[in-house]
Amino acid sequence: MLLYIIRRLISVALTFFVVSVIIFLMMHSIPGGPFDGNDMPVSEAVRAKLMARLGLDQPLHVQYLNYMWGVLHFDFGVPYQSPGESVIQLLSRAWVPSLVLGGLGVILGAPLGILLGMAAALNRNSIIDYFASTFATLGLTIPVFVISMLLILVFAVWLDWLPASGWGSPDRWILPIAAYAAIPIATYARYTRSAMLDCLNRPFVTVLRAKGLSENRIIFQHVLRNAAIPMVTVFLPMFIGTATGSIFVETMFRVPGLGAYFVSSIEARDYPLEMALVLMVTLMFCLAYFLADIAYAWLNPRIRVGGDH
Amino acid sequence: MTVPALELRNVSKDYLIKAGGGLIPSYRRHAAVAGVSLTIARNSIVGLVGESGSGKTTTGMMALRLVKPTSGRILVNGVDISQLDHKGLKPVRRQMQVVFQDSYSALDPMMTLAQIVAEPLDIHGVGSPREQTDEALSWLERVGLDRSYGGRYPHELSGGQRQRVAIARALILKPTVLIADEPTSALDVSVKAQIINLLQDLQEEMDLSILFISHDLSVVRSLTDRVVVMYRGQVVEEAETEAIFSDARHPYTRALLDAIPAANPRDRRVRRFLSVEEIEAATPRLARSELPEAAEPSQTPQLVSIGPGHRVAAIVTP
Ligand SMILES: Nc1ncnc2c1ncn2[C@@H]1O[C@H](COP(=O)(O)OP(=O)(O)OP(=O)(O)O)[C@@H](O)[C@H]1O
Ligand SMILES: [Mg+2]
Repeated sequence: MLLYIIRRLISVALTFFVVSVIIFLMMHSIPGGPFDGNDMPVSEAVRAKLMARLGLDQPLHVQYLNYMWGVLHFDFGVPYQSPGESVIQLLSRAWVPSLVLGGLGVILGAPLGILLGMAAALNRNSIIDYFASTFATLGLTIPVFVISMLLILVFAVWLDWLPASGWGSPDRWILPIAAYAAIPIATYARYTRSAMLDCLNRPFVTVLRAKGLSENRIIFQHVLRNAAIPMVTVFLPMFIGTATGSIFVETMFRVPGLGAYFVSSIEARDYPLEMALVLMVTLMFCLAYFLADIAYAWLNPRIRVGGDH
Repeated sequence: MTVPALELRNVSKDYLIKAGGGLIPSYRRHAAVAGVSLTIARNSIVGLVGESGSGKTTTGMMALRLVKPTSGRILVNGVDISQLDHKGLKPVRRQMQVVFQDSYSALDPMMTLAQIVAEPLDIHGVGSPREQTDEALSWLERVGLDRSYGGRYPHELSGGQRQRVAIARALILKPTVLIADEPTSALDVSVKAQIINLLQDLQEEMDLSILFISHDLSVVRSLTDRVVVMYRGQVVEEAETEAIFSDARHPYTRALLDAIPAANPRDRRVRRFLSVEEIEAATPRLARSELPEAAEPSQTPQLVSIGPGHRVAAIVTP
């Protein structure tokens, strides 16, 4: 097991390195630079001086090595957009809305999806089942920004029940949370339904019925337990997955979170911030899958025991 | 006459099968089992044989009340259980247990063997958790596994070992009836023989009555006291095991016996199974006067008694 963990950590480090190189190259291959904007034109001489001060006049590989050297010391530089603070300070501020909204979306969405999937599996081929399947398919196929737009249109514009955007009072959180929840609800509903149906058809469930175990206890003690392993293990990656969703959701609902900064950092060629965001999300993803795999191995007797021999 | 352990009286099961697709689906009734009667005397083993799809599993599942019969009655130790609900069935479930062919999917992969074998005790509230585990471990020993297997998981065992676990789980509540649905079909010859011996020993020790569903006529011959032959949802012949093998009367039973691979390859004929029409055409026609018991003449086959404990589906002529 220890060997396995070490191997996985090495692969995390490798992934991290490869992603950082690719992103760095892509970032700099987009034409334009941080001082090419039209709203604050600068003279050629000033521009060159600014570029030199930020080290942007040096060859790319030197810039890369400089930046990564800083990263290894937890120094992600200073964002060009807001030079009064470090990237770390900005991120620790921007995390809050993303974490609250995305986190609540997953935390509320997952159980809802599980309930929906259970209801569908237990009432197979009924109206509930069709509704759940349709809902799940829509949730997975409609892009998040379309869902966000529909939510704004229906609940903010037509019904005028909820504010359309912003961050602050909790009533502004409801729509973005709903947008974030779509994917967890859909994923968990689909997964729970198929895992339960698969399990309910297995002979060991028939044997349990023959032994006189009540249907409720069959479902809670055996079926859900068998279905639970992947449900538990997919949770963390899904949680981190909201980071990518946040790019759309936060732009649509104008929430000042990570996703919003991600978009603005690309527009403004804010290289240090962009790089820091990508590296952070990469690291979180790697760690989430790493922990998910360990949780899977730990929960599943088939792997747990096999791994010890 | 003593009360039989299990009695099925004229049980049938119809399934609705989707016949036409389209917007308004049409359904067709398919009789998986049509009017089957069979009796398992106390302390005996009855073999249920027949080709795939003849309704053997459905019959067993109805006996266990896991499939609700469309019509007919099921009696366990003389008590009619055909109309009982879930609650009423619970005490009956202690009396009847089942073992399936696929031993892997029959065991919950998340539970240890001790938990699996002890679970029936827990369901029926027998003993403290500690006593339940003790009992489960001694049952593992009884079916030929070491007590130390208690902490293992199903995937760590071979197919034969898993089938032993399934048998221990089935018998831990000391049932009177065991439905064994092809319990040895997935096992190789030597393991098969071990499981058969185990079932035989346990049957004698526990006064158990077994409905042994199988394709394998050689196993049926060595294990069972009586044989019931099913064909297309109906019983076509029923007799003492030896009578079936020496004096089969129904063309379908004979065809099944002919299909047993010969031990000597020189004796092997080109095997060709009879078609439905051929079997219908060859259905025995018996004159009413020849029969030992009274029977009404009929145009369609009916089960008639032709000797002690020997019944066959035949057309009775006046
Ligand atoms: N749930 C069901 N819905 C529809 N038809 C079914 C169902 N279960 C069984 N049948 C049909 O009933 C018939 C009898 O099936 P059954 O499983 O009892 O046969 P079997 O004798 O056990 O066959 P095998 O030897 O292959 O196990 C088959 O034609 C089958 O297709
Ligand atoms: Mg079957």
